[in-house]
Amino acid sequence: MPATLQQRERRTFWQRWSPNGELCILLALALEIFVFSLVAPNFFTRENLFEVIRLSVEVGLLSLALTPVIITGGIDLSVGSVMGLSAVVLGACVSAWHLPLGVALLLTLLTGTAAGALNATLITRFNLPPLIVTLGSMSLLRGIAEGATGAAINYSNFPPSLLFLGQGYIGGIVPAQFPLFLAVLACYAVLLHKSVIGRAVRAIGFNAPGARYAGIPVARRVGLVYLLAGVMSGLAAIVYVAHLGQAKSDAGTGYELAAITAVVLGGTSVFGGRGTVWGTMLGLFSISVLQNGLRLAAFPSELTGVLTALLLIATIVSDRLARRPATTQETEEFMKNSQLAILCGTILAGAALVAGTNVWLFRSLAAPTQVGKKPVIAVMPKAKGDPYFVSCRVGAEEAAKALGVQLIWDGPVGLDAAKQNEVVESWITRGVDAIAVSVENQAGISTVLRKARSRGIKVLTWDADAAPDARDYFINQATPQGIAETLTDEAARLMNSRGQFAIVTGALSAANQNQWIEFIKKRLAEKYPAMELVTIRPSDDDRDKAFAETQTLLRVYPTLKLVMGIAAPAVPGAAEAVRQSGRTGVNVIGLSLPNLCKRYVHDGIIQSVVLWNTTNLGYLTVYTAAELVEKKLQPGATGIQAGRLGEVVIQGDQVILGKPMIFNKSNIDRFNF
Amino acid sequence: MTTSRFRRELSVAAAIAVISIVMAIAAPRFFAPENQLDLLLANVPVLIVAVGMTMTILTGQIDISVGSQFAVCSVLSGVLASMGLPVWVAALLTCAIGGTLGAVNGALVAWFGIPSIVVTLAAMVGLRDALRWATEGAWIQNLPDGFQWFGLSQSGSAALTAGIAFSLAATAAWALRNLAAGRMIYATGSDAGAARLAGIDPRRVTFWTFVTLGVLTAIAAVLNAVRFNQIPSNTGLGLELKAIAAVVVGGTAVTGGKGSVAGTMLGVVLLGTIGPALTYMGVNAYWERAAEGSIILLAIAADSIHIRSGKGARNLATARA
Repeated sequence: MPATLQQRERRTFWQRWSPNGELCILLALALEIFVFSLVAPNFFTRENLFEVIRLSVEVGLLSLALTPVIITGGIDLSVGSVMGLSAVVLGACVSAWHLPLGVALLLTLLTGTAAGALNATLITRFNLPPLIVTLGSMSLLRGIAEGATGAAINYSNFPPSLLFLGQGYIGGIVPAQFPLFLAVLACYAVLLHKSVIGRAVRAIGFNAPGARYAGIPVARRVGLVYLLAGVMSGLAAIVYVAHLGQAKSDAGTGYELAAITAVVLGGTSVFGGRGTVWGTMLGLFSISVLQNGLRLAAFPSELTGVLTALLLIATIVSDRLARRPATTQETEEFMKNSQLAILCGTILAGAALVAGTNVWLFRSLAAPTQVGKKPVIAVMPKAKGDPYFVSCRVGAEEAAKALGVQLIWDGPVGLDAAKQNEVVESWITRGVDAIAVSVENQAGISTVLRKARSRGIKVLTWDADAAPDARDYFINQATPQGIAETLTDEAARLMNSRGQFAIVTGALSAANQNQWIEFIKKRLAEKYPAMELVTIRPSDDDRDKAFAETQTLLRVYPTLKLVMGIAAPAVPGAAEAVRQSGRTGVNVIGLSLPNLCKRYVHDGIIQSVVLWNTTNLGYLTVYTAAELVEKKLQPGATGIQAGRLGEVVIQGDQVILGKPMIFNKSNIDRFNF
Repeated sequence: MTTSRFRRELSVAAAIAVISIVMAIAAPRFFAPENQLDLLLANVPVLIVAVGMTMTILTGQIDISVGSQFAVCSVLSGVLASMGLPVWVAALLTCAIGGTLGAVNGALVAWFGIPSIVVTLAAMVGLRDALRWATEGAWIQNLPDGFQWFGLSQSGSAALTAGIAFSLAATAAWALRNLAAGRMIYATGSDAGAARLAGIDPRRVTFWTFVTLGVLTAIAAVLNAVRFNQIPSNTGLGLELKAIAAVVVGGTAVTGGKGSVAGTMLGVVLLGTIGPALTYMGVNAYWERAAEGSIILLAIAADSIHIRSGKGARNLATARA
């Protein structure tokens, strides 16, 4: 890396509170709060303030832990994976082995500590670069969690005392995890800024050999920060499990990136030696306020990433500008006039962009007042970018337009139960009229849906159900059992009920797919004993990975007769692999969208695609929600007039879309979704 | 001297050898030419990106935005092709776009002095979300007939792809050792101050390595896109981790100045072999990630044990990320 930046210790007020440009980010945070107070309903309330804090605790704990790590000039990519492993341990201890809660919590923290110790040992004893070590342990620890639980076990049924930590409010106002977070924050502030260890960590970051000559036990101090990072990840896992009420191997996926972003945004230098806990907190909240504000204002959540990127660049560049007079010779040299002009231009362009966004923000502020009391219906897919849900959205928008309701369509970009909770929370704060969720995780989301119902919001589930008492109606497109049986029967028909076949699934930890696989296995055992399911391979919802996995499958199992893809991108991926292999006699079937598969169906590679009409599913969801809001749909109804769908049957509290369809050569061209 | 210089490369090669021997005994079909070709083609994108990443890491920088750049380039190549441009023109334009993305990163790092991990973190998040915003998750469909395999036959396209990948890697390996520009990269990464005294402009070197990486990422994206007849918009997720892992496992120091393209290629081979090898062995997919992680850790821990027994502990600063 380039020569370490020189820092002159000067203890003015300014330098004390903003040694690394923390004031720039404070300014950005203030600007965010100002803008969102104007445009986002219910943003500037005490309730929302605590909500933002509550949802930031897990990433906050990790970012606190990463601050000293990055100050030593290291990095820890494994914190999210340690969270996953610790969450699984906690789940197993409480739900499976029924250990006392105290013992379970202790074991969870010990798991985190052990993982931290592994990193610390490899880094300090074996002198390995932290980047590689934690890259390796990131895979290893997540892998252990996945392997031990088969990626599918989802522990729930936690005792209320644990759930209170994540879901309760002290005195009905202050979230229960807030005092815990404050305590950890205080400890880290003292450790880093008021203790000998903190000074040692800084010294190591500036110059490790120098620190050693000064008598600092470098290896021990470096080991300590990684060990603490492990402990904090364990603690974050406890809060996460208490918050969601469920523990699965995918807990904390991607959290390392969020935490690193917060630390870096807060002015901590990745070259080591500089950084403050105060800055990290500002970085953390400037991101979570941005997310929260965009959700409350119902702006596309993709803006979060774009704005975070601008924020990162803008704060660091403005920090550089502000420091310019005090820079050393080296930094002065890189700032020639022409470059200054480019810099000013970039900042001006950035400002123009921000200003433009603001104009747009204000315009859309005016929109809700114009239309008066249009009902607001918020619909959440499981994963926003998934082609399956993209096609559901088409129908949802069609219904919203026909009925004259405002549709908010938002959700996580990938399968993420924690993100789903966050989005629902922000909808409750915003005060929408109806919420419809395609549930990733039952145990996780039911609590927050009940909260929404208690506030008088109509709650629906669609595509995948929550606990029955957490929602008014479930839009039932097909039961997991129905899907599994249709797929298995279709496979049996093509294979004459005998021979080998393989499944290419989505992510290994995807709840839906795992449910289908269970029912497929059951169906095989009951009706088709001569059919052998040889293996299940993950595609991570990535077409290219499904392609590569299928290529390998075809080579490993030369007698394979059929590949079944049970995620939308997996089916075309598998089909392309079969086509390029030139093998005949291997059929591809699965659950996917007709549009993605049309070509292969006509080429005779995909025999059949099982699915319901996704556009109609989105349409029916919004239609039912609107009827509920306008009180046209009363309890006990046995049917609903759903616009162009005509009369749709209601059984109890389930609205039935109809049976899964089988698309093949004869009918696939009639559908466009 | 030579063994100590190539110690990491040797331990990675040893790991590959062990896996090969196990496979030769347990599942000899693994070495069937068709399977090897499949594996090669599947790893071409990682290989090409990792070659570019080697140069970037050699200068002491890092680029974690390559996955997002890859996705942007894939989608844009499809958009350009479906606008009616010949596939070659679309491919060249895509390379220009990749170079531009790299240039933005490079300029911010080199001339504005912002740490590369910050710049490319911003680019990674920003580009990915901008793409999601623009495409709303939709795939690029209805590509013209001449798009898949550049309009060649399947085997012709495979040969072309493998040829491009190998000539790029070989050129990079040769250039890094023998060209002035290559030596400048090592000099910049070893000691930017000394490089400047020697008449090298480290900022220009840094800038051009980012541009090169951008172009290489675009080439990888095009070569991957033409293997199919539709382009998903969420492609390239996690590519940065695969490429960086291959580079560092292959012995390139994240502090810059030390490493080789040959090591990177070994890294790509090791990481690209583990997954399919485990499938051939019939290992349950659920344990695959754990196995991958332990093989990486073992491969890198092995060479540090050499160091400890040989020269005693180096100081931490040289091992720092």
